Amino acid sequence: MSWLGSIGRFGLFCLAFFRASAGRAPPLGATIEQAYRVGVQSLPVLMLISTFVGTNLSIQGYNAFQPIGGQGLVGMFVALAGVRELAPIISASIIAAKAGTEMASQIAVMRVRDQIDALEVMAVSPHWFLITPRLLGIVIVMPALTMLSTFVMVAASYAAAVWQLDLNGATFLEFLLLASAPMDLVISLCKALCFGALICMISCFNGFFSEGGAEGVGAATNRAVVMSAVLCVILNYFISEAVYG
Amino acid sequence: MIELKDVTKSFGELHVLRGVSLTLPMRQTTAIIGPSGAGKSVLLKLLVGLIRADAGEVRCFGTDMGRADDDELYAVRRRFGMLFQDGALFDNLTVAENIEFPLIHHRRDLKPKERRERVLAALEQVGLPELADRPTGRLSGGQRKRVGLARAIITEPEVVLFDEPNSGLDPVTSDAIDSLILTMKAKLGVTFIIISHDIVGTLNVADNIGMLYEGRLIQFGPTEEIVQAPNPILRRFLQRNVSLPDAAHEAYALPAARQRAM
Repeated sequence: MSWLGSIGRFGLFCLAFFRASAGRAPPLGATIEQAYRVGVQSLPVLMLISTFVGTNLSIQGYNAFQPIGGQGLVGMFVALAGVRELAPIISASIIAAKAGTEMASQIAVMRVRDQIDALEVMAVSPHWFLITPRLLGIVIVMPALTMLSTFVMVAASYAAAVWQLDLNGATFLEFLLLASAPMDLVISLCKALCFGALICMISCFNGFFSEGGAEGVGAATNRAVVMSAVLCVILNYFISEAVYG
Repeated sequence: MIELKDVTKSFGELHVLRGVSLTLPMRQTTAIIGPSGAGKSVLLKLLVGLIRADAGEVRCFGTDMGRADDDELYAVRRRFGMLFQDGALFDNLTVAENIEFPLIHHRRDLKPKERRERVLAALEQVGLPELADRPTGRLSGGQRKRVGLARAIITEPEVVLFDEPNSGLDPVTSDAIDSLILTMKAKLGVTFIIISHDIVGTLNVADNIGMLYEGRLIQFGPTEEIVQAPNPILRRFLQRNVSLPDAAHEAYALPAARQRAM
Protein backbone atom coordinates (compact mmCIF):
# COMPACT_ATOMS: atom_id res chain seq x y z
CA MET A 1 0.00 0.00 0.00
CA SER A 2 2.89 2.36 0.65
CA TRP A 3 3.84 2.54 -3.03
CA LEU A 4 0.22 3.35 -3.88
CA GLY A 5 0.38 6.16 -1.35
CA SER A 6 3.63 7.38 -2.93
CA ILE A 7 2.05 7.44 -6.38
CA GLY A 8 -0.84 9.44 -4.98
CA ARG A 9 1.50 11.88 -3.26
CA PHE A 10 3.55 12.22 -6.43
CA GLY A 11 0.37 13.00 -8.38
CA LEU A 12 -0.65 15.65 -5.85
CA PHE A 13 2.87 17.07 -5.89
CA CYS A 14 2.76 17.43 -9.70
CA LEU A 15 -0.69 18.97 -9.49
CA ALA A 16 0.48 21.48 -6.89
CA PHE A 17 3.42 22.34 -9.13
CA PHE A 18 1.24 22.93 -12.20
CA ARG A 19 -1.20 25.04 -10.19
CA ALA A 20 1.60 27.12 -8.69
CA SER A 21 3.44 27.61 -11.98
CA ALA A 22 0.57 28.06 -14.45
CA GLY A 23 0.66 31.50 -15.97
CA ARG A 24 3.67 32.65 -13.94
CA ALA A 25 6.95 33.63 -15.50
CA PRO A 26 9.76 31.37 -14.31
CA PRO A 27 12.64 32.81 -12.28
CA LEU A 28 14.89 33.54 -15.28
CA GLY A 29 18.29 33.67 -13.59
CA ALA A 30 17.68 30.41 -11.75
CA THR A 31 16.49 28.74 -14.97
CA ILE A 32 19.68 29.71 -16.81
CA GLU A 33 21.75 28.51 -13.88
CA GLN A 34 19.97 25.17 -13.84
CA ALA A 35 20.35 24.72 -17.61
CA TYR A 36 24.06 25.39 -17.18
CA ARG A 37 24.37 22.98 -14.28
CA VAL A 38 22.51 20.19 -16.06
CA GLY A 39 24.04 20.77 -19.47
CA VAL A 40 27.60 21.94 -19.21
CA GLN A 41 28.49 20.05 -16.06
CA SER A 42 27.05 16.75 -17.32
CA LEU A 43 28.52 17.06 -20.81
CA PRO A 44 32.06 15.64 -20.32
CA VAL A 45 30.96 12.48 -18.53
CA LEU A 46 28.11 11.92 -21.00
CA MET A 47 30.45 12.28 -23.97
CA LEU A 48 32.94 9.89 -22.44
CA ILE A 49 30.33 7.24 -21.74
CA SER A 50 28.68 7.70 -25.16
CA THR A 51 32.07 7.18 -26.82
CA PHE A 52 32.69 3.86 -25.15
CA VAL A 53 29.11 2.64 -25.53
CA GLY A 54 29.53 3.42 -29.26
CA THR A 55 32.74 1.42 -29.59
CA ASN A 56 31.18 -1.50 -27.72
CA LEU A 57 28.13 -1.44 -29.97
CA SER A 58 30.38 -2.00 -32.96
CA ILE A 59 32.34 -4.75 -31.23
CA GLN A 60 29.22 -6.63 -30.09
CA GLY A 61 27.46 -6.10 -33.41
CA TYR A 62 30.49 -7.45 -35.17
CA ASN A 63 30.59 -10.50 -32.84
CA ALA A 64 26.90 -11.15 -33.48
CA PHE A 65 26.92 -10.82 -37.26
CA GLN A 66 30.41 -11.99 -38.21
CA PRO A 67 29.69 -15.75 -37.79
CA ILE A 68 26.93 -15.51 -40.41
CA GLY A 69 28.97 -13.27 -42.66
CA GLY A 70 26.87 -10.24 -41.95
CA GLN A 71 29.51 -7.95 -40.44
CA GLY A 72 28.38 -5.22 -42.83
CA LEU A 73 25.19 -4.99 -40.78
CA VAL A 74 27.02 -3.44 -37.86
CA GLY A 75 25.94 0.01 -39.05
CA MET A 76 22.31 -1.12 -38.95
CA PHE A 77 22.80 -2.50 -35.44
CA VAL A 78 24.24 0.82 -34.30
CA ALA A 79 21.28 2.68 -35.83
CA LEU A 80 18.66 0.46 -34.21
CA ALA A 81 20.26 0.02 -30.80
CA GLY A 82 22.30 3.19 -30.45
CA VAL A 83 20.31 5.95 -32.11
CA ARG A 84 16.84 4.71 -31.23
CA GLU A 85 17.41 3.30 -27.75
CA LEU A 86 20.76 3.70 -26.06
CA ALA A 87 21.51 7.38 -26.67
CA PRO A 88 18.32 8.64 -24.99
CA ILE A 89 18.45 6.13 -22.15
CA ILE A 90 22.15 6.68 -21.44
CA SER A 91 21.65 10.45 -21.47
CA ALA A 92 18.76 10.01 -19.06
CA SER A 93 20.82 7.77 -16.77
CA ILE A 94 23.71 10.23 -16.62
CA ILE A 95 21.38 13.17 -16.00
CA ALA A 96 19.54 11.20 -13.31
CA ALA A 97 22.83 10.28 -11.65
CA LYS A 98 24.34 13.75 -11.84
CA ALA A 99 21.66 16.44 -12.07
CA GLY A 100 18.85 14.39 -10.50
CA THR A 101 20.82 13.57 -7.39
CA GLU A 102 21.92 17.18 -7.10
CA MET A 103 18.32 18.38 -7.31
CA ALA A 104 17.10 15.83 -4.77
CA SER A 105 19.88 16.52 -2.27
CA GLN A 106 19.66 20.32 -2.60
CA ILE A 107 15.92 20.34 -2.00
CA ALA A 108 16.19 17.75 0.78
CA VAL A 109 18.76 19.90 2.58
CA MET A 110 16.46 22.89 2.18
CA ARG A 111 13.67 20.86 3.75
CA VAL A 112 15.87 19.79 6.67
CA ARG A 113 17.01 23.38 7.28
CA ASP A 114 13.46 24.79 7.22
CA GLN A 115 14.20 26.78 4.06
CA ILE A 116 11.17 25.37 2.25
CA ASP A 117 8.97 26.35 5.21
CA ALA A 118 10.63 29.77 5.12
CA LEU A 119 9.63 30.14 1.45
CA GLU A 120 6.05 29.21 2.35
CA VAL A 121 5.93 31.71 5.20
CA MET A 122 7.36 34.41 2.93
CA ALA A 123 4.42 33.64 0.62
CA VAL A 124 6.68 32.39 -2.17
CA SER A 125 5.48 29.09 -3.59
CA PRO A 126 8.32 26.57 -3.23
CA HIS A 127 6.78 24.53 -6.05
CA TRP A 128 7.18 27.48 -8.38
CA PHE A 129 10.44 28.81 -7.03
CA LEU A 130 12.32 25.53 -6.73
CA ILE A 131 10.88 23.28 -9.40
CA THR A 132 10.09 25.55 -12.37
CA PRO A 133 13.71 26.56 -13.07
CA ARG A 134 14.91 22.99 -12.62
CA LEU A 135 12.24 21.59 -14.93
CA LEU A 136 12.82 24.23 -17.60
CA GLY A 137 16.58 23.87 -17.31
CA ILE A 138 16.49 20.12 -17.80
CA VAL A 139 13.87 20.24 -20.56
CA ILE A 140 15.92 22.82 -22.49
CA VAL A 141 19.14 20.89 -22.18
CA MET A 142 18.14 17.21 -22.38
CA PRO A 143 17.33 17.13 -26.12
CA ALA A 144 20.64 18.82 -26.93
CA LEU A 145 22.55 16.40 -24.72
CA THR A 146 20.77 13.43 -26.29
CA MET A 147 21.59 14.66 -29.80
CA LEU A 148 25.24 15.12 -28.87
CA SER A 149 25.30 11.70 -27.26
CA THR A 150 23.80 10.18 -30.42
CA PHE A 151 26.38 11.74 -32.72
CA VAL A 152 29.31 10.89 -30.46
CA MET A 153 28.07 7.32 -30.10
CA VAL A 154 27.69 6.88 -33.88
CA ALA A 155 31.08 8.49 -34.52
CA ALA A 156 32.76 6.21 -31.97
CA SER A 157 30.98 3.18 -33.45
CA TYR A 158 32.18 4.19 -36.90
CA ALA A 159 35.74 4.69 -35.67
CA ALA A 160 35.78 1.30 -33.94
CA ALA A 161 34.23 -0.43 -36.96
CA VAL A 162 36.67 1.05 -39.44
CA TRP A 163 39.93 1.30 -37.48
CA GLN A 164 39.62 -1.53 -34.99
CA LEU A 165 37.45 -4.11 -36.77
CA ASP A 166 38.65 -3.21 -40.27
CA LEU A 167 35.14 -2.90 -41.71
CA ASN A 168 34.29 -0.84 -44.77
CA GLY A 169 33.28 2.67 -43.70
CA ALA A 170 31.00 3.27 -46.68
CA THR A 171 29.12 0.02 -45.97
CA PHE A 172 28.79 0.95 -42.30
CA LEU A 173 27.25 4.31 -43.18
CA GLU A 174 25.05 2.83 -45.89
CA PHE A 175 23.43 0.39 -43.47
CA LEU A 176 23.30 3.00 -40.72
CA LEU A 177 21.32 5.34 -42.95
CA LEU A 178 19.20 2.50 -44.27
CA ALA A 179 18.01 1.60 -40.77
CA SER A 180 17.56 5.12 -39.43
CA ALA A 181 15.39 7.99 -40.56
CA PRO A 182 15.13 11.63 -39.44
CA MET A 183 12.02 10.57 -37.57
CA ASP A 184 14.21 8.43 -35.31
CA LEU A 185 15.99 11.58 -34.16
CA VAL A 186 12.65 13.29 -33.56
CA ILE A 187 11.45 10.32 -31.48
CA SER A 188 14.75 10.39 -29.63
CA LEU A 189 14.24 14.08 -28.84
CA CYS A 190 10.71 13.37 -27.58
CA LYS A 191 12.08 10.63 -25.35
CA ALA A 192 14.68 13.06 -24.03
CA LEU A 193 11.99 15.60 -23.16
CA CYS A 194 9.89 12.99 -21.36
CA PHE A 195 12.87 11.56 -19.49
CA GLY A 196 14.08 15.02 -18.47
CA ALA A 197 10.69 16.01 -17.09
CA LEU A 198 10.34 12.67 -15.29
CA ILE A 199 13.82 12.87 -13.73
CA CYS A 200 13.23 16.42 -12.55
CA MET A 201 9.82 15.77 -11.01
CA ILE A 202 10.91 12.55 -9.30
CA SER A 203 14.11 14.10 -7.94
CA CYS A 204 12.33 17.21 -6.67
CA PHE A 205 9.53 15.09 -5.19
CA ASN A 206 11.97 12.96 -3.22
CA GLY A 207 13.86 16.01 -2.00
CA PHE A 208 10.66 17.83 -1.10
CA PHE A 209 9.36 15.07 1.14
CA SER A 210 12.64 13.99 2.71
CA GLU A 211 12.66 13.68 6.47
CA GLY A 212 15.05 12.59 9.17
CA GLY A 213 18.07 14.89 8.90
CA ALA A 214 21.27 13.92 7.10
CA GLU A 215 20.21 10.30 6.80
CA GLY A 216 16.98 11.42 5.18
CA VAL A 217 18.87 13.52 2.66
CA GLY A 218 20.94 10.48 1.65
CA ALA A 219 17.87 8.27 1.42
CA ALA A 220 15.99 10.84 -0.68
CA THR A 221 18.92 11.17 -3.07
CA ASN A 222 19.22 7.44 -3.39
CA ARG A 223 15.49 6.99 -4.02
CA ALA A 224 15.55 9.76 -6.60
CA VAL A 225 18.24 8.18 -8.77
CA VAL A 226 16.86 4.64 -8.51
CA MET A 227 13.27 5.68 -9.25
CA SER A 228 14.36 7.95 -12.12
CA ALA A 229 16.48 5.27 -13.78
CA VAL A 230 13.86 2.53 -13.41
CA LEU A 231 10.95 4.68 -14.59
CA CYS A 232 12.92 6.03 -17.57
CA VAL A 233 13.74 2.49 -18.73
CA ILE A 234 10.09 1.45 -18.36
CA LEU A 235 8.86 4.59 -20.12
CA ASN A 236 11.42 3.98 -22.89
CA TYR A 237 9.91 0.55 -23.49
CA PHE A 238 6.40 1.93 -23.83
CA ILE A 239 7.45 4.73 -26.18
CA SER A 240 9.47 2.33 -28.35
CA GLU A 241 6.64 -0.18 -28.36
CA ALA A 242 4.15 2.53 -29.35
CA VAL A 243 6.36 3.92 -32.14
CA TYR A 244 8.30 0.93 -33.45
CA GLY A 245 6.41 -2.07 -32.08
CA MET B 1 -7.11 38.67 15.25
CA ILE B 2 -5.47 35.28 15.72
CA GLU B 3 -7.56 32.62 17.35
CA LEU B 4 -7.40 28.88 17.94
CA LYS B 5 -10.58 27.01 18.80
CA ASP B 6 -10.36 23.51 20.22
CA VAL B 7 -7.44 22.62 17.95
CA THR B 8 -6.32 19.01 17.79
CA LYS B 9 -3.32 17.68 15.89
CA SER B 10 -1.84 14.19 15.80
CA PHE B 11 0.97 12.56 13.86
CA GLY B 12 0.01 8.92 13.68
CA GLU B 13 -0.36 7.66 17.23
CA LEU B 14 1.30 10.75 18.65
CA HIS B 15 -1.26 13.27 19.91
CA VAL B 16 0.59 16.58 19.82
CA LEU B 17 -2.22 19.06 20.48
CA ARG B 18 -5.40 18.11 22.34
CA GLY B 19 -8.10 20.74 22.14
CA VAL B 20 -6.10 23.94 22.39
CA SER B 21 -8.14 27.16 22.47
CA LEU B 22 -6.42 30.51 22.57
CA THR B 23 -6.89 34.10 21.44
CA LEU B 24 -3.61 35.91 20.91
CA PRO B 25 -3.64 39.57 21.93
CA MET B 26 -2.58 41.86 19.09
CA ARG B 27 0.27 44.39 19.40
CA GLN B 28 1.62 42.50 22.38
CA THR B 29 4.30 39.91 22.89
CA THR B 30 2.98 36.47 23.70
CA ALA B 31 5.25 33.60 24.59
CA ILE B 32 4.20 29.97 24.42
CA ILE B 33 6.37 27.93 26.73
CA GLY B 34 6.54 24.26 27.54
CA PRO B 35 8.85 21.28 27.60
CA SER B 36 10.18 19.67 24.43
CA GLY B 37 7.48 17.75 22.60
CA ALA B 38 4.66 19.77 24.16
CA GLY B 39 3.47 20.92 20.73
CA LYS B 40 4.90 24.45 20.65
CA SER B 41 6.44 24.32 17.18
CA VAL B 42 3.35 22.53 15.82
CA LEU B 43 1.23 25.38 17.17
CA LEU B 44 3.41 27.89 15.37
CA LYS B 45 3.20 25.95 12.10
CA LEU B 46 -0.59 25.78 12.43
CA LEU B 47 -0.76 29.56 12.74
CA VAL B 48 0.84 30.11 9.33
CA GLY B 49 -0.83 27.13 7.68
CA LEU B 50 2.32 25.06 7.21
CA ILE B 51 0.32 22.17 8.62
CA ARG B 52 -3.41 21.80 9.11
CA ALA B 53 -5.30 20.89 12.25
CA ASP B 54 -7.07 17.54 12.43
CA ALA B 55 -9.98 19.18 14.25
CA GLY B 56 -10.87 22.62 15.50
CA GLU B 57 -10.20 25.94 13.86
CA VAL B 58 -7.19 28.19 13.43
CA ARG B 59 -8.34 31.62 12.34
CA CYS B 60 -5.90 34.37 11.35
CA PHE B 61 -7.20 37.76 10.26
CA GLY B 62 -10.57 36.18 9.54
CA THR B 63 -9.20 33.34 7.40
CA ASP B 64 -9.74 29.76 8.47
CA MET B 65 -6.20 28.45 7.90
CA GLY B 66 -7.39 24.86 7.77
CA ARG B 67 -9.74 25.44 4.86
CA ALA B 68 -7.95 28.22 2.98
CA ASP B 69 -6.65 27.57 -0.53
CA ASP B 70 -3.09 28.48 -1.53
CA ASP B 71 -3.94 32.02 -2.61
CA GLU B 72 -5.75 32.75 0.66
CA LEU B 73 -2.90 31.24 2.67
CA TYR B 74 -0.32 33.34 0.86
CA ALA B 75 -2.43 36.46 1.39
CA VAL B 76 -2.47 35.83 5.15
CA ARG B 77 1.21 34.87 5.27
CA ARG B 78 2.18 38.22 3.78
CA ARG B 79 1.01 39.70 7.08
CA PHE B 80 3.44 37.44 8.97
CA GLY B 81 7.18 37.36 9.41
CA MET B 82 8.90 34.40 10.97
CA LEU B 83 12.27 33.77 12.56
CA PHE B 84 13.15 30.08 12.29
CA GLN B 85 15.32 28.27 14.80
CA ASP B 86 18.57 28.52 12.86
CA GLY B 87 17.42 31.41 10.68
CA ALA B 88 16.56 29.22 7.64
CA LEU B 89 18.76 31.45 5.50
CA PHE B 90 19.49 30.50 1.90
CA ASP B 91 23.08 29.33 1.80
CA ASN B 92 23.74 30.39 -1.78
CA LEU B 93 22.83 34.02 -1.07
CA THR B 94 24.65 36.73 0.85
CA VAL B 95 23.20 38.32 3.97
CA ALA B 96 21.78 41.25 1.98
CA GLU B 97 20.32 38.98 -0.70
CA ASN B 98 18.60 36.89 1.96
CA ILE B 99 17.01 39.93 3.54
CA GLU B 100 16.08 41.36 0.15
CA PHE B 101 14.40 38.11 -0.93
CA PRO B 102 10.84 38.88 0.28
CA LEU B 103 11.03 42.40 -1.13
CA ILE B 104 11.96 41.07 -4.58
CA HIS B 105 8.89 38.87 -4.57
CA HIS B 106 6.36 41.15 -2.91
CA ARG B 107 7.49 44.73 -3.43
CA ARG B 108 8.04 44.96 -7.14
CA ASP B 109 7.30 48.67 -6.95
CA LEU B 110 10.66 49.19 -5.23
CA LYS B 111 13.74 49.92 -7.30
CA PRO B 112 16.94 47.95 -6.54
CA LYS B 113 18.44 51.00 -4.85
CA GLU B 114 15.39 51.40 -2.60
CA ARG B 115 15.48 47.72 -1.74
CA ARG B 116 19.15 47.99 -0.84
CA GLU B 117 18.43 50.95 1.43
CA ARG B 118 15.72 49.00 3.21
CA VAL B 119 18.00 46.01 3.61
CA LEU B 120 20.73 48.16 5.13
CA ALA B 121 18.20 49.80 7.45
CA ALA B 122 16.97 46.38 8.60
CA LEU B 123 20.56 45.25 9.18
CA GLU B 124 21.14 48.40 11.19
CA GLN B 125 18.09 47.56 13.30
CA VAL B 126 19.45 44.12 14.15
CA GLY B 127 22.91 45.51 14.78
CA LEU B 128 24.75 43.98 11.86
CA PRO B 129 25.24 46.84 9.37
CA GLU B 130 28.70 45.66 8.35
CA LEU B 131 27.68 42.16 7.26
CA ALA B 132 25.56 42.96 4.21
CA ASP B 133 27.78 41.26 1.66
CA ARG B 134 28.98 38.37 3.77
CA PRO B 135 28.04 34.83 2.64
CA THR B 136 25.58 33.32 5.10
CA GLY B 137 27.82 30.29 5.57
CA ARG B 138 30.29 32.48 7.44
CA LEU B 139 27.84 33.70 10.09
CA SER B 140 27.73 32.60 13.73
CA GLY B 141 24.54 31.20 15.26
CA GLY B 142 23.59 34.53 16.82
CA GLN B 143 24.29 36.41 13.59
CA ARG B 144 22.13 33.96 11.62
CA LYS B 145 19.23 34.65 14.00
CA ARG B 146 19.67 38.39 13.64
CA VAL B 147 19.77 38.15 9.86
CA GLY B 148 16.71 35.90 9.99
CA LEU B 149 14.99 38.53 12.12
CA ALA B 150 15.94 41.28 9.65
CA ARG B 151 14.41 39.18 6.86
CA ALA B 152 11.29 38.57 8.96
CA ILE B 153 10.63 42.28 9.51
CA ILE B 154 11.75 43.67 6.13
CA THR B 155 8.21 43.59 4.70
CA GLU B 156 6.83 45.29 7.82
CA PRO B 157 4.54 42.43 8.87
CA GLU B 158 1.78 42.77 11.42
CA VAL B 159 2.79 39.62 13.28
CA VAL B 160 6.30 38.25 13.83
CA LEU B 161 6.71 34.65 14.93
CA PHE B 162 9.81 33.43 16.73
CA ASP B 163 10.64 29.74 16.88
CA GLU B 164 13.00 29.25 19.83
CA PRO B 165 14.91 32.54 19.38
CA ASN B 166 17.38 31.66 22.15
CA SER B 167 18.04 28.03 21.37
CA GLY B 168 21.69 27.11 20.85
CA LEU B 169 22.94 30.54 21.92
CA ASP B 170 25.31 31.40 24.73
CA PRO B 171 23.80 33.51 27.56
CA VAL B 172 25.33 36.77 26.32
CA THR B 173 24.06 36.34 22.75
CA SER B 174 20.75 35.10 24.09
CA ASP B 175 20.41 38.25 26.18
CA ALA B 176 21.28 40.35 23.13
CA ILE B 177 18.50 38.67 21.13
CA ASP B 178 16.02 39.38 23.95
CA SER B 179 17.15 43.00 23.94
CA LEU B 180 16.63 43.13 20.21
CA ILE B 181 13.10 41.74 20.53
CA LEU B 182 12.22 44.37 23.12
CA THR B 183 13.73 47.18 21.06
CA MET B 184 11.92 46.06 17.92
CA LYS B 185 8.65 45.70 19.78
CA ALA B 186 8.99 49.29 20.95
CA LYS B 187 9.91 50.53 17.48
CA LEU B 188 7.57 48.49 15.31
CA GLY B 189 4.55 48.09 17.59
CA VAL B 190 3.66 44.74 16.05
CA THR B 191 2.46 41.45 17.50
CA PHE B 192 5.21 39.07 18.53
CA ILE B 193 4.54 35.40 19.17
CA ILE B 194 7.44 33.54 20.70
CA ILE B 195 7.86 29.80 21.12
CA SER B 196 10.44 29.05 23.75
CA HIS B 197 11.52 26.89 26.63
CA ASP B 198 13.94 29.55 27.86
CA ILE B 199 12.08 30.93 30.85
CA VAL B 200 14.49 33.73 31.71
CA GLY B 201 14.32 35.11 28.19
CA THR B 202 10.55 34.70 28.10
CA LEU B 203 10.06 36.60 31.34
CA ASN B 204 12.23 39.35 29.91
CA VAL B 205 10.24 39.94 26.77
CA ALA B 206 6.70 38.58 27.08
CA ASP B 207 3.54 40.50 27.97
CA ASN B 208 1.57 37.25 28.05
CA ILE B 209 2.61 33.67 28.59
CA GLY B 210 0.86 30.43 27.70
CA MET B 211 2.08 27.08 28.94
CA LEU B 212 1.63 23.99 26.81
CA TYR B 213 1.93 20.66 28.54
CA GLU B 214 1.26 17.31 26.91
CA GLY B 215 -0.65 18.98 24.11
CA ARG B 216 -2.88 21.06 26.35
CA LEU B 217 -2.75 24.75 27.16
CA ILE B 218 -2.69 24.52 30.95
CA GLN B 219 -2.27 28.22 31.69
CA PHE B 220 -2.51 31.48 29.76
CA GLY B 221 -2.42 35.06 30.95
CA PRO B 222 -0.35 38.19 31.58
CA THR B 223 3.25 37.46 32.61
CA GLU B 224 2.73 38.93 36.10
CA GLU B 225 -0.11 36.47 36.73
CA ILE B 226 1.72 33.51 35.27
CA VAL B 227 4.73 34.07 37.52
CA GLN B 228 2.43 33.92 40.56
CA ALA B 229 0.11 31.19 39.28
CA PRO B 230 -0.25 28.19 41.60
CA ASN B 231 -0.48 25.56 38.84
CA PRO B 232 1.97 22.88 40.04
CA ILE B 233 3.19 21.88 36.57
CA LEU B 234 3.81 25.50 35.66
CA ARG B 235 5.61 26.13 38.95
CA ARG B 236 7.77 23.09 38.49
CA PHE B 237 8.63 24.21 34.95
CA LEU B 238 9.44 27.74 36.09
CA GLN B 239 11.49 26.55 39.05
CA ARG B 240 13.65 24.41 36.79
CA ASN B 241 14.63 27.56 34.92
CA VAL B 242 14.66 30.34 37.50
CA SER B 243 14.78 30.18 41.25
CA LEU B 244 11.15 30.67 42.18
CA PRO B 245 9.54 31.75 44.37
CA ASP B 246 12.24 33.88 46.03
CA ALA B 247 13.84 35.08 42.84
CA ALA B 248 10.61 35.30 40.88
CA HIS B 249 10.11 38.95 41.51
CA GLU B 250 13.71 39.74 40.72
CA ALA B 251 13.74 37.67 37.57
CA TYR B 252 10.60 39.26 36.26
CA ALA B 253 10.82 42.82 37.50
CA LEU B 254 14.46 43.59 36.87
CA PRO B 255 15.65 41.68 33.84
CA ALA B 256 18.70 43.28 32.29
CA ALA B 257 17.35 43.25 28.77
CA ARG B 258 14.08 44.89 29.78
CA GLN B 259 15.93 47.66 31.55
CA ARG B 260 18.20 48.28 28.59
CA ALA B 261 15.29 48.63 26.22
CA MET B 262 13.59 51.22 28.36
